[in-house]
Amino acid sequence: MSFFNDIGDSFYKSFIYDDRYLYFLEGIKNTLIIAFFAVLIGIFLGMIISLIKDYNKEKNKLKILAKICDFYVYVIRGTPVLLQLMILYYVVFKTVDIPIVLVGVLTFGLNSAAYVSEIIRSGILSIGNGQKEAAKTLGLSYFQTMRYVIFPQVLQNMLPALGNEFITLLKDTSVAGYIGIVELLKASDIVSSRTYDYFFPLIVSALIYLFFTFLLVRFMRMLERKLNHVRS
Amino acid sequence: MYEVKKLVKKFDKVKVLKEIDLDIKEGEKIVIIGPSGSGKSTLLRCLGRLESPTSGKIYFDNKDITKIHNTHEIGMVFQSFNLFENLTVLENITLAPIKTKLLSKQEAIKKAREYLKQIKLEDKENNYPADLSGGQKQRVAIIRALMTNPKVILFDEPTSALDREMIEEVLNLMEDVAKEGITMIVVTHELNFASNFATKIIFMDEGKILESGSPKELFNNPKTERLKEFLKG
Repeated sequence: MSFFNDIGDSFYKSFIYDDRYLYFLEGIKNTLIIAFFAVLIGIFLGMIISLIKDYNKEKNKLKILAKICDFYVYVIRGTPVLLQLMILYYVVFKTVDIPIVLVGVLTFGLNSAAYVSEIIRSGILSIGNGQKEAAKTLGLSYFQTMRYVIFPQVLQNMLPALGNEFITLLKDTSVAGYIGIVELLKASDIVSSRTYDYFFPLIVSALIYLFFTFLLVRFMRMLERKLNHVRS
Repeated sequence: MYEVKKLVKKFDKVKVLKEIDLDIKEGEKIVIIGPSGSGKSTLLRCLGRLESPTSGKIYFDNKDITKIHNTHEIGMVFQSFNLFENLTVLENITLAPIKTKLLSKQEAIKKAREYLKQIKLEDKENNYPADLSGGQKQRVAIIRALMTNPKVILFDEPTSALDREMIEEVLNLMEDVAKEGITMIVVTHELNFASNFATKIIFMDEGKILESGSPKELFNNPKTERLKEFLKG
């Protein structure tokens, strides 16, 4: 009986006593806020970066901007995201009064943009030049070609890779606890440091991560099916 | 219509076109023949503004078009069809005229349906390119090129990717298009087709035009050894 008593006691200490479940709710909230807005920034900025690079390749214009984009992607991919987070928090925004969660959103958004831009770039490459050339001889402009012909196909081709990136991003937000953001893992850490009992906080946050990544996987599958349906 | 002067095209250090001079008059049906690697496709792609020449000039209706830019006046049909995979047959044909404001949506659809009827694919307008055979794809690509009212259509080996039985349907459509008086420049290996179709044949080898003239002149009285060899093979 004492085994079940222990478990019950441990559960009580971790979640009920002192309303400790509130830490977890706060953690879930911040994790989702960071992941969600970072994905939006990542897609938006990633699209711009890949467009600049492709436009440069195609028309031999915007050379300096394209070089900057190359450098940006190189630096972001070449350094750990934790380091980027610390630079943004301890250096860039050192003297600025800015909500700490926003620093998380920016870091992970700027980080994800580099990866998303590479995903889009490989998507554009996978389509090949033929359709672009056909569009050109029909009098369509570069942006019309991208908008109506290339991007719809890129989106479809890159969905699996993009889903992968979102899952990685969601989990990577756990790093944000390092600068004091109470995201999910930080929340469980706070609680277990009070109770000296790691079992429930860690297992429960693992289950919560799994639940959200599960939803994400289902959502991406649904999108894939929807887009495939259009073609056949 | 076309005036080509001392056209040179290099890829890295390889000279693919060596000072080509060429005049093409409106309404002509030109067929360019020659062994692979002779530069005929590159010449066509320069005429279609898909490659920018290393040196030399290309004039189209007295305009210098040497620098690449988009116009709907020069249509092109490709060996690999290059239909837009994400769009239906009807959307493939109407996209450019609508987006470039050449036609209203209604006009474009009406015109597209007339063409589709002409090539007997009217029941395929809502199908995607993946559903079509090679020959059907190429015929759709040809009417797509016609939709923007080009003054000239360039054909880059339009039947080379097709099975025997589909080549005929594409060549027949090209003959129908020719009857409308539009200028056509065709790179092909179909010599029988060339001799019936062409008003002028150009024989290229190693980046140069070696001979040009009527099909009769070239096929019955080849002057150069290279052409004699080519016709034998």
